[in-house]
Amino acid sequence: MTVRRANNEPRWMRVLLLVVALGFLALFLGFPLVTVFYEALKKGVDAYLAGLADPEARSAILLTLGVAAAAIPFNIAFGVAAAWAIAKFDFRGKSLLITLIDLPFAVSPVVAGLLFVLIFGSQGWLGPWLAEHDIKIIFAIPGIVLATLFVTFPFVARELIPLMQAQGKDEEEAAVSLGASGWQMFWRVTVPNIKWGLLYGVILANARAMGEFGAVSVVSGHIRGETNTLPLHVEILYNEYQSVAAFASASILALLALVTLVAKTVVEWRMRKETEMLTADLPPEKTE
Amino acid sequence: MSIDIRNISKRFGNFVALDNINLDIPTGELVALLGPSGCGKTTLLRIIAGMESADEGQVLFGGAEATHLHARERQVGFVFQHYALFRHMSVFENVAFGLRVKPRKERPSESEIRKRVMELLSLVQLDWLADRYPSQLSGGQRQRIALARALAVEPKVLLLDEPFGALDTKVRKELRRWLRRLHDEMHISSVFVTHDQEEALEVADRVVVMNKGRIEQVGSPDQVYSNPATPFVYQFLGNVNVFHSRLQGNLWAEVARREDGAGGEGGGAGDSLAFVRPHDIDILREPVPDALGAEVRYVHPIGPVVRVELAHQSELVEVELTRERQEELQLAQGQSVWLKPRQVRVFPAGTVAGEALQDFSI
Repeated sequence: MTVRRANNEPRWMRVLLLVVALGFLALFLGFPLVTVFYEALKKGVDAYLAGLADPEARSAILLTLGVAAAAIPFNIAFGVAAAWAIAKFDFRGKSLLITLIDLPFAVSPVVAGLLFVLIFGSQGWLGPWLAEHDIKIIFAIPGIVLATLFVTFPFVARELIPLMQAQGKDEEEAAVSLGASGWQMFWRVTVPNIKWGLLYGVILANARAMGEFGAVSVVSGHIRGETNTLPLHVEILYNEYQSVAAFASASILALLALVTLVAKTVVEWRMRKETEMLTADLPPEKTE
Repeated sequence: MSIDIRNISKRFGNFVALDNINLDIPTGELVALLGPSGCGKTTLLRIIAGMESADEGQVLFGGAEATHLHARERQVGFVFQHYALFRHMSVFENVAFGLRVKPRKERPSESEIRKRVMELLSLVQLDWLADRYPSQLSGGQRQRIALARALAVEPKVLLLDEPFGALDTKVRKELRRWLRRLHDEMHISSVFVTHDQEEALEVADRVVVMNKGRIEQVGSPDQVYSNPATPFVYQFLGNVNVFHSRLQGNLWAEVARREDGAGGEGGGAGDSLAFVRPHDIDILREPVPDALGAEVRYVHPIGPVVRVELAHQSELVEVELTRERQEELQLAQGQSVWLKPRQVRVFPAGTVAGEALQDFSI
C-alpha cells in the first residue's frame, strides 16, 4: 500500500475540481470572448475595419479613452489623499470616510447617474444656475467624467489604504527629522514606497472607467458622435441589428480588457518581487 | 546641547500619558528613559523630537524655546525601534538623505556628500555595505545604518526609541557597548528609551525611571539601583522581597523603626512595607539576634549564583547566594535556617509613588 498524506486528495477528486473550474472559466469567460471576435470577423476583415472606421465608432473610441484619461489624475489625487489621511492620521469621522469610499461599490451605477441628473440636470438643484452661466454638465462630457469618477474612485484608495497602513509612518517621520520638507518627504519617501500599489489601483480604475455603462448611460444623453462612449455605442449598434459593427466595437473593449489584464499581471509580479525582497533571508551578521 | 523639559503634560483622550514632567538633560550626557510599557517614555521622547506636541509645558534646547519648533527644524537625530530605513534606497542613499534634502544653498557638493557618507559608514563599521539595500541587512546592521543616517545631519541631540528592542540578546549586548563607545567619542546629548533595566544601567550616565506618566527617580545607574527612591523603582529595577503582612510583628521592620529613632514615630506600626534585595540577605545555619527563622524550599543553582527559595511562616522569600557561600552552607530542601538582611528599606504601605520614609543598613 502506498502511504498517503492526510492533505493528499484522491486523484479523481483533483481531476474533478480542475475540470469544474476550468470548464466554468471556458464556458462563461473564454467562450464569450471568442464569440466577440468570431462575430466581429464573421463577414471578413474588411467589414470589421469598416465598422471601426465609421466616424461615430471612432468618436466613441476617442471619447472612452479621453474620459478614462481625464478620470485618472482625479483618481490618483483623491486616492492618495484619502489613503494618506486614513493610514497615517487619527481623526473623527475616519470610519465614516472609509464607508463613503466604499459607497460606489454598494450603490447601483444607474442610481449614481440619476443623482447627477438630479443635481446638475436642467430640472435639478444647480440646473438654473448652470443654464444662466451657460455651463453644460448633463448630456455633455463633464457629466460623463463625473459619473465615471463616481464609479471609479474607490479603486486607488482601496489599494493604497492597506499598503500604507502596513508601511506605517516611521519612514516619513525619519525623513522629517532629517530635515526634509513635506514635499520632499512625499516625493522621495512616500511615492517610491507606494508606486506599484498606486499603479495597480490606477489600472483597475481605468478598466472600470472604460467599461462603465450604467451611470454613464443616464447622464450622457446618447448623442451620437458627441456623448456616446464605446459601451453605449455597442448597445445602439446592437439594437439597430448592425451585429458586425456592434461586435467590432465590442472587440475593441475586449482588447482593452486584455491589455489591462497583461498590465495588471506585470504590476502584480513586480509587487510580489518587491515584497519578496523585503522579506528575503538576511545574511549573517559579519563580526569585525 | 542641553535639553530642559518644563511642566510637560500630554493626554490621549482620557489617558494621561505624561503628567507634569520636569527634567534637565545636561550637554553631552547619555540619558536613559526607563519604564514599563505605557509609562509615557516614548511619548516624552517624541515630544522632545517634535513629532508629538505637548498639551502643556515647554521644551528648551540649549536654553532657547523650542516647544513650537517643527521637527525638521529641531536638528534632532532620531533612531526608531524598527529602524525606519528608506526601503527603496541603498544604504549609501539612506545615509545621504539628510544631506540631499538640505536647501540648495547649504547642500554640500556631490563629492562632499560621498566623503561624508563614507566617513559615517566607516564610523559604524559598515562601509562595505554601501551598495546594499536595507532588506539585505541583518537587524543589527540596519540599526547601525539608521544611526549613521541620523548622525549625517550633525544633530545637536540624538534620540533613540528602544533602539535595540527588536534585536536578539547577543546582538543587543554588542550594540549597547558600541553605542556607549560611540557616545564617548561624539559627546552629543543623547536620550534613549528602554524598558530593559539592564540596558539602562549598563549604558546610561543617568537613568530616569518613569511610571504612569510621572518620573519616579532620576539618578546615576548606581543610585537608582542601590538607593531606589520609591517602591516602584525598587520593584522595577531587579528582584526584591517585599514583606507585606503582619509587619507589626516583623522583626526587620521593628529594627528599622528603632534604629531610625525620631522619624519612626511618623507612621503607626503595621502600615509599612519592607524591601530587601535577594542578594542582600545572608543565610545562617545558627540563630543570631535580629534574624528570621525560615525553611528552605528549593535550591536552584543558576549560572554564577544559587537562588534559594525559603518560607518564613506563610511568606515566600527569595535569596541569592554565591556558589562559594552555598558550598559552605550546603543548604538542602527542608532545612531550618536563619535570615539576616544586609540592607532593608522601609516604605509606608500605600505609597505607590510616594517618597521613602526610612533607609538604613544593618
